[in-house]
Amino acid sequence: MARSATSARGGPRERDDTDAARDESTPERSPPPALAVEGLTKRFGDGDDAVTAVDDVSLTVERGSVVGLLGPNGAGKTTLIKCALGIVIPDAGSVRVFGTDVRDGRRAAYADVDAMLEGARNDYWRLTVRENLRYFATISGVDPDSVAARHDRLLDRLDLADKADTPVRDLSRGMKQKVSLASVLAGGAELVFLDEPTLGLDVESARTLRAELRRLAAEEGLTIVVSSHDMTTIEAVCDRVVMLSNGRVVADDTVEALLGGTDRDVVRVASPDLDRETVAGLREAFEVVDVDRDAHPPAVTVVAGGDRIYDLTDALRAAGVTVSDIRTVQPDLEDVFLDRTGTVPSAAAGGESS
Amino acid sequence: MSADASAGDASTGDGAAIDDAPRPATYYHLARAVLYREFLIFVRYPANAIGGIVVSLFFFAALFLGGQLLAGQALTDSIEGIVVGYFLWTLSVGAYSSVSNDIGSEVQWGTLERHITTPFGFAPVALLKGVAKVVRTFLTSAVILAVMLLATGTRLNLAPLTVVAVAGLSITSVLGLGFAAGGVTVLYKRIGSWLNLLQFGFVALISAPVFDLPWTRVLPLAHGSAMLQRAMVDGIRLWEFPPADLALLVAVALGYLVGGYLVFQLATRRARRLGVLGDY
Repeated sequence: MARSATSARGGPRERDDTDAARDESTPERSPPPALAVEGLTKRFGDGDDAVTAVDDVSLTVERGSVVGLLGPNGAGKTTLIKCALGIVIPDAGSVRVFGTDVRDGRRAAYADVDAMLEGARNDYWRLTVRENLRYFATISGVDPDSVAARHDRLLDRLDLADKADTPVRDLSRGMKQKVSLASVLAGGAELVFLDEPTLGLDVESARTLRAELRRLAAEEGLTIVVSSHDMTTIEAVCDRVVMLSNGRVVADDTVEALLGGTDRDVVRVASPDLDRETVAGLREAFEVVDVDRDAHPPAVTVVAGGDRIYDLTDALRAAGVTVSDIRTVQPDLEDVFLDRTGTVPSAAAGGESS
Repeated sequence: MSADASAGDASTGDGAAIDDAPRPATYYHLARAVLYREFLIFVRYPANAIGGIVVSLFFFAALFLGGQLLAGQALTDSIEGIVVGYFLWTLSVGAYSSVSNDIGSEVQWGTLERHITTPFGFAPVALLKGVAKVVRTFLTSAVILAVMLLATGTRLNLAPLTVVAVAGLSITSVLGLGFAAGGVTVLYKRIGSWLNLLQFGFVALISAPVFDLPWTRVLPLAHGSAMLQRAMVDGIRLWEFPPADLALLVAVALGYLVGGYLVFQLATRRARRLGVLGDY
């Protein structure tokens, strides 16, 4: 937590990629990044059944940033996180947490890192909320009395103050999830991994949790790595996104850059005049992404970036189409992921999406 | 905590937030946290403890009444030995199953990893948890012992220091077995429930013929059981035992505890390699 002061003050969120690159090239001048993964590889099983869960992954997470790991189930997100925590021993590569190699000095590294793993309770349901925070603060190496005020603040922010003395088992699912998060933050770890934090939550609880994550990251100066197959969570919370597919990094950039980088400026045109013949005519000159004949009125989605938008309106006028509605379709991270991998991150899993 | 972060919090009126610089936890804090948690669960959920006591007493009643029918006077003559042996058995089962089941539950809850990834290292945490389990087991077994003595009208020497030291060291070896079983459960989840059957084997260890087969003294429980009989039935005090006997008691206790912990460590290491740790 001593470090959180530095990261909050430095405002690393505003850093751009050049800053990050400079940090890496001059390690003697700047403190090591919160997380540095290099050439990480992990295979499970032998022979024909062997699965490469993480395949030569390298990435750096700067202090104070919120980075998303996006990918379908089985992309290697959880294995990557578990390797970083030392719960899974990698076959090759290294993981450094604030400059400490997880393999060599795990105990030293553990003081600064904690995780909320997917599907795990992470805390004791028979203890009250506050008892959990105190217990796990101690386990993380912090005298609980010295962070009592921080715990109060954490409970306040997560709307759990009224429930502080309630056993966790008596809470709703959304609240249990928040207690799990609070218990992970209780010890003041500066690097926090959250694996599918909104999985299984209803829309409202997921939205609250996302907002809280964002706020906690900013106010407490935490470095957060959020893994999810759910774009809404990643887009809402993260500064930067690392996309994983089949254990490999397929993209690693800021959310804005990734969204801006899609060369698919897509326009959706709705009109009662969009019959089969007109659409066929449009297909000859444009890339038609989608045709929705069931909509009222029918609509086509066409790639028309830059000046092509004028060509499109000309073509529509020439075909005698009276436009009811025309709008640009903003690409989302799912489109980006689709562009890069040919698959959709949420395809393999059913979970919360809002 | 940074001043920046706390400053934004002034609206909550929490003045203490300004200087809540975290202090590192010491082993004292760790011990307090682990023992306090066990205590809380013990007093908040007494049904588990009471259930265990009732089941143990039921078994003892069946043993005692059935034995009287079959053996008559012979059983009454050896009732002291049976009460002591049964007392040690409830202690052993309590220590063994609480440790191995606890590891199993913690795997399920995802809390085991958090104890493995503690800056303290897992060993002190595990040891403290073991101590807490032993204390807890002594409390329940004391109740069972009292009821047995009252129900059978038996008199035993209950010098607290001697009984606690000899019985405590005896079941320390079982604690080691519990860690080993817990480790195996982490790797092979289904085997866990089968390992619970091991506790019936404790009966054989407790009644091992240490005088006829001296080598059995190095098995868990056997030597300690013989010493506990002498202490409770013959009234031998702790300091009246030959030093060699005491040394062997300590050596067996530590040997199995360390051995069991090593098995646990190897098992979790393998689990980390196979990626099965934290698989829910």
